[in-house]
Amino acid sequence: MNNKFDALKDDDSGDHDQNEENSTQKDGEKEKTERDKSQSSSKRKAVVPGPAEHPLQYNYTFWYSRRTPGRPTSSQSYEQNIKQIGTFASVEQFWRFYSHMVRPGDLTGHSDFHLFKEGIKPMWEDDANKNGGKWIIRLRKGLASRCWENLILALLGEQFMVGEEICGAVVSVRFQEDIISIWNKTASDQATTARIRDTLRRVLNLPPNTIMEYKTHTDSIKMPGRLGPQRLLFPNLWKPRLNVP
Amino acid sequence: MSGGSSCSQTPSRAIPATRRVVLGDGVQLPPGDYSTTPGGTLFSTTPGGTRIIYDRKFLMECRNSPVAKTPPRDLPTIPGVTSPTSDESSSEACHSHLRSSPEDKPAGSEESQFEMDI
Repeated sequence: MNNKFDALKDDDSGDHDQNEENSTQKDGEKEKTERDKSQSSSKRKAVVPGPAEHPLQYNYTFWYSRRTPGRPTSSQSYEQNIKQIGTFASVEQFWRFYSHMVRPGDLTGHSDFHLFKEGIKPMWEDDANKNGGKWIIRLRKGLASRCWENLILALLGEQFMVGEEICGAVVSVRFQEDIISIWNKTASDQATTARIRDTLRRVLNLPPNTIMEYKTHTDSIKMPGRLGPQRLLFPNLWKPRLNVP
Repeated sequence: MSGGSSCSQTPSRAIPATRRVVLGDGVQLPPGDYSTTPGGTLFSTTPGGTRIIYDRKFLMECRNSPVAKTPPRDLPTIPGVTSPTSDESSSEACHSHLRSSPEDKPAGSEESQFEMDI
């Protein structure tokens, strides 16, 4: 009996290598269908793959945000500053958008591209993000375009193998460096965050000395501006929502 | 069957062995790297169900499909961010028209693709 069981287990891990995430995935599925339902009622036309196009596992939405200098900042202005570029459901539709957007490396000023699953806002407050966190990688200037492309291709192609956990990705163009980050749902799920980290290393082809930080969104909200070097940039990045009275 | 006492008598159902995958020696498996599947596209069965997986190479190939090259109809115009490709070159073309110096106009196949007369 034992032997049989072991043999079965071996088969499983050979197939997909993520036994430990069984339960979280099921929960995720449920959440997804709920979200889909609420979306279809509130959203306009559903985005679907065209004929002969290659469907994606999820629909995704591109967003763009830019900090307007000298404006009073609040969470409202964050939401106002962030613009939806569009939603796509297939590989071909993705390229239609991507090919007609500038590369992050060519963006000017203090701006971000966000790519999130349809229905998840690129904000901490979104239900999908509120218990989540993100991996952050700082890049010296000149690398953002390539890394961003590799990151989002891995995302769309479901390379992370963490079930429903991924929420989206962000590239942030800043004065002296650029930052890419990938957001997931459950910051406390260490198996997931470790797997995301390893996949990031692989798909981004990062130099071995690259520093990767994981930060929970609750930390980002609670402790603005008081951490070490990593905080030097994030007060800027998220100022709109950190200064809420 | 429902009685606890007869538990040991429950006809043992074999653990479904249909999941077993027999691999011959020559079978190529992704070398611990999901992104390099031989066929480009891998539909993989995971506990959450079948997931649609594409590797980078396959995604890059789709970039060249005709559909992928047309800008989406609802693409918002954000200066410096979205570039419906034709925009820049055609506005340049307009300028050179106005300045009536047609030689300035970059002549080429790219240009004619996005011709926009005023």
